[in-house]
Formats: sequence, structure tokens, C-alpha cells
Amino acid sequence: MHELSLIESMLSIIREEKAKHGMDRILRVRVVNGALSGAVSDALAFGWECLTQEGDLQGVALEITDAPLKVVCGACGKPFEPEDKHYMPCPACGEILGHTVTSGKELYIEEIEADIPEDGEPATGV
Amino acid sequence: MGKTVTIVRNVMEANERRAGKLKDYFAEKGILCLNLMSSPGAGKTSLLERTLADLKGEFKMAVIEGDLQTDNDARRVAATGAQAVQVNTEGGCHLDSSMIEDAIAVLDMDGMDILFIENVGNLVCPAEFNLGEDHKVSLLSVTEGDDKPEKYPLMFHLSSVMLLNKTDLLPYVDFSLEAASAHAKKLNKDIEIFPVACRTGEGLAAWYDWLRSARAAKKQA
Ligand SMILES: Nc1nc2c(ncn2[C@@H]2O[C@H](COP(=O)(O)OP(=O)(O)O)[C@@H](O)[C@H]2O)c(=O)[nH]1
Ligand SMILES: [Mg+2]
Ligand SMILES: [Zn+2]
Repeated sequence: MHELSLIESMLSIIREEKAKHGMDRILRVRVVNGALSGAVSDALAFGWECLTQEGDLQGVALEITDAPLKVVCGACGKPFEPEDKHYMPCPACGEILGHTVTSGKELYIEEIEADIPEDGEPATGV
Repeated sequence: MGKTVTIVRNVMEANERRAGKLKDYFAEKGILCLNLMSSPGAGKTSLLERTLADLKGEFKMAVIEGDLQTDNDARRVAATGAQAVQVNTEGGCHLDSSMIEDAIAVLDMDGMDILFIENVGNLVCPAEFNLGEDHKVSLLSVTEGDDKPEKYPLMFHLSSVMLLNKTDLLPYVDFSLEAASAHAKKLNKDIEIFPVACRTGEGLAAWYDWLRSARAAKKQA
């Protein structure tokens, strides 16, 4: 799997945001990981630990929110949450394939908690 | 006391941005770029060897080789006379756009018609990284089981073409071309399916016709 390279992308996004918002010290980062993203949350957590053992982001906590898989049936249009991402029978009509995914593909950084000095850039969406 | 800043940024954004630039580059030069994906050993390199040799007089083609199952894939491809460049994925499970940028820098892209990318043998990860390609092409060999499209939906969902390779072995294995095709069509109703045998050359004519029309469509655009 490719979680290490995903963590590297995350770290570079975080460094960009750190500079943009004039953050002093980052305390916590929250990411949202969809069930279909291809990234395994445990592997993300492990990769994070490995890559933040030292350096400017040492010791920053990573919080992972798992986003559930939600689909709309390709045959009858019923929205449902499949339990198994490899086998998704529609509870209404039994159709297995051809569903549209409405949640579960995402993998994004949602928020960063940090110490921001008074003269730092005003943060948005606080 | 920490302040919380909401940012919402896609972790894949750097790759998506690079892929977009590559797409623009291929469009500007009129190059058809194809991203070949399969399990290890399904026959990606064999398909390329055949295609590069058979269409040599028709198109200028090159290969970016990311498959590390064997270290001689780039050499096998280069033996046909086409340009080939091996990229080092450092044991990674997929190619990303920065590796394609690096590879293009060492290829002679002048007058290039078709650029093939042989992705790392893996049915999961490569499908998630766009490389600026026009089409994803997936290969499934008949020794792998006809339920593969069902088990790895994303790859088949995103592919324009599915080649069912090693049809010379059909008499010896329990594989239904119909079942594999039906699964793939349910994931992607527009997918083109070509049963082929890269060993014997059987069925390749239909694949070549598809390549010709995809290339013509790209040139016109
Ligand atoms: N019987 C048979 N073997 C094939 C065919 N195509 C490829 N192979 C063999 O399958 C093995 C793996 O092929 P290769 O092209 O290296 O697969 P790749 O890992 O996807 O690049 C090699 O031993 C090939 O000779 C085919 O059509 N029929
Ligand atoms: Mg190969
Ligand atoms: Zn239904």
C-alpha cells in the first residue's frame, strides 16, 4: 500500500498551511479517510508515527475520522450503506453492481490545531 | 491554547495538479497516453512487445516502465526498437505523476504518437493515481479467475479497455470470458473488451484497431 507517500503529501500540505497561517507549533491534525480511499487508517497512523518522529512536526497528534461508504443503487436508486465494499447487494432490489458512490472516496485534511501568535495571520473558519 | 483552523485539502491534490499538467502537455502535442494496469504476470510487457513490434511502421511509440516484477521489462520492450525508460518506484505500489514527468524529460517526445505507461503490477493502488493519461487499460489473464472485476471494482470501473489475456490457456482453466465481461460491463457499461493471446497473437487485431481510432481521435481533438 501507499500510505507512506500519502503521509508525505499530507506533511507538505501541513507545512504550507503552517506558513500561510503563521502557526507557531502544531498540536493536532485531523484527516477524514473514506472507506474506499484505498488508504487503511491503521497504516496511515503508523506511517504518521514513522514520519513525525523527528523534525518540525515531531509529536503532532493525528486524528483520523473514518467516513463510511454510502452508495445509491444503480438499478432502483435507493441510497444505502453497504457493509462490505467488495459485495454490495441493494437492500431494496438486490442489485450488486453499478452503484454510485456518494461517500467513501474522500481522503482530506479537515483541520489543524496550532498555537498562532496574536500577530499571526488571522485564521479562517475558526 | 491552540486555535483550530479548518482547511479541507485533498491529500492527493499534488498528484492531481501534476496529472492535469501532463494532460495539457499530451493534448498540446497530440500524444495518446495509455496507462496499463494489471496483476503481476498478467502480460503487460508481452502485450507491449507485440504491439510495439506490429505497429512499428505506423506509429512512433515509447514506453515508461514502472513494473518491477522483473528488472528486464524495459530491456524486453527496447528490443523492439522503441524507446523505453525504466522508472524507479523504490518498491512503491504505483506510479505517480512526478515519476512520469521525470521519465518524459529523458524521452525524445518529438513526433510521438503513443506513450504507453506500464504501471506497477497491482490491482488496487495504481487505479487511484491519475497520470494525465487519456485512457486506463486493464489486463486480466484467464489464469486469475473471472471474479477479479468484482473484487477490484475501481480499476475496471475507470478503464476504457479490458484485455482478457492468455486465451490460449482457456481449455485448461476454469475461466468464463462471459462472466468476466459481464462483471466488467456492470461496473462500466462502456468498457471495450478484447480477448487476446499475446503468446500467439490471436485477437490482437481488434486491440490494434482500437489503438488506431483512439490515436485518430486524439490527433483531431
Ligand atoms: N500462455 C500464455 N502466456 C503468456 C501470454 N502472455 C504472456 N504470457 C506469459 O506470462 C508471463 C508474464 O508476462 P509479462 O508480460 O511479463 O507480464 P507482466 O508482469 O504483466 O508484464 C510470461 O511468462 C509470459 O510469457 C499468453 O497470451 N499466453
Ligand atoms: Mg511487466
Ligand atoms: Zn436497488
